[in-house]
Amino acid sequence: MSHSTTVGQRVRTLAASLCPLLAIGCATTADTSATRDDAEQMIARSFSAPAPELLKRLDQDKAQQICSKVDHAPLTQEQSAEVVKLARASIKYPSSGKLAGDWKHGEQLAHDGAGDRIQFGQLEKRKENGGLCQNCHALEPGEINVGNVGPSLTGYGAQRGNSEEIAKYTYEKIYNAWAYFPCSNMPRLGANGHLTPEQIADLVAYLVDSKSPLNAKSK
Amino acid sequence: MSSVRRWIAAIAVAALPWPLAAQTEPNGLALGRKMLLEDNPGELWIDRGKDLFSQKRGPRNESLERCDFGLGPGKLEGASVRLPRYFADTGHVQDLESRLLTCMVELQGFKREDLAKSALSPALSSGSDIEALAIYVTSRSNGMKMNVTLDHPQEREMYEVGRYLFHRRSGQTDFACVTCHGDADKRIRLQDLVNMTDRKQIQEVVGSWPAYRGSHGVVRTMQWRMYDCFWQMRLPELAYGSDVSIALITYLHRQGNGAVVQVPGFKR
Repeated sequence: MSHSTTVGQRVRTLAASLCPLLAIGCATTADTSATRDDAEQMIARSFSAPAPELLKRLDQDKAQQICSKVDHAPLTQEQSAEVVKLARASIKYPSSGKLAGDWKHGEQLAHDGAGDRIQFGQLEKRKENGGLCQNCHALEPGEINVGNVGPSLTGYGAQRGNSEEIAKYTYEKIYNAWAYFPCSNMPRLGANGHLTPEQIADLVAYLVDSKSPLNAKSK
Repeated sequence: MSSVRRWIAAIAVAALPWPLAAQTEPNGLALGRKMLLEDNPGELWIDRGKDLFSQKRGPRNESLERCDFGLGPGKLEGASVRLPRYFADTGHVQDLESRLLTCMVELQGFKREDLAKSALSPALSSGSDIEALAIYVTSRSNGMKMNVTLDHPQEREMYEVGRYLFHRRSGQTDFACVTCHGDADKRIRLQDLVNMTDRKQIQEVVGSWPAYRGSHGVVRTMQWRMYDCFWQMRLPELAYGSDVSIALITYLHRQGNGAVVQVPGFKR
């Protein structure tokens, strides 16, 4: 831990000590840009990683900055439009052009929550990253060990069909959810490089294919 | 009810088919947790921490009895409920664990890097000294209410930074703390997520750490709780006692003011 005092801290220490004398400018909330500067400096000295490029994970891109609203403050229309624009520009498709792949592999990925974590100076390296879906979404009928941070996906394809449009929407939604729901809780799994286009196409198949257990009739 | 009978009841509830268990005992998980709380293995860590605190240890062969947690050297009653706080001798806002580091370095002569490296123990191990010390010092505030004040400008600053960090999204999951801890009745798989924007739920958290974690077989501390969230978010490793950790703990503890401290807590 560094014991250095930031410029922002010093300025505000001075300001606070003047508070009783001035009777103005003594709001209880600190200046937000100074807080941000201090926070970003603290981030720069509070983490370690097995390789320097992994520290870049802490850097925010433009969309993440916009989406980091304190206490559920609403997005402005301009911010919302910018997040959608950035998201749309990020989407890449599989070289095969096939947006719905192998649902069996998709099923396995949907239930895999591992990959790419950093612990004890090691990066968790696997053949591929898990899709993380089960952490937050209900999947197959009767499946109990599922999260509810996101909406239920049970019967996703049974309700929507497996048309080209649905496959494309589903693919884009997984690749970068913010193209449709700016700043939603869902990770931008493709845009962030957590999943490959081919993995996402397999997840699409798991969601829309009529043979997928996710679309089975409820037990 | 005897310990054995409580266990049988817990197993009976757990063995029911899911829908039936849900109907007859809507709060079965909470009941099971309450039962485990009554025979909490974390008590063993408190005993060990008490011994470690008074033993002469380290290169300087000193005890921690002169360690000042904010109320004066060796004064432990009510100390943890005021933490994190600003310490004039270090010129820094410190939480309980970073303050323990300071004392173990300054009084006992341990190396800071060595302590930080072994502070968070592996699962199913006998635990680290600092974990035992943290839960012991906290236990001396059992029954008292959290009361983090932000009188010093640096305390206010750490709180504001913590609030900013709580909402800051980054990394390949785009997560901030609030992504998973900002709404009521949410779960990751079957694990309940605490809503850290709800004062009552924050208080339940803030008053119950350090806690014995059944699935890990060790006592975990608030520093560990922060570290583990960053791991799951796929971000780099949060350094033990770092400014980011202290800022987040300052924010959460302040939000939880009024919580009654009761450790060891019990977590799944």
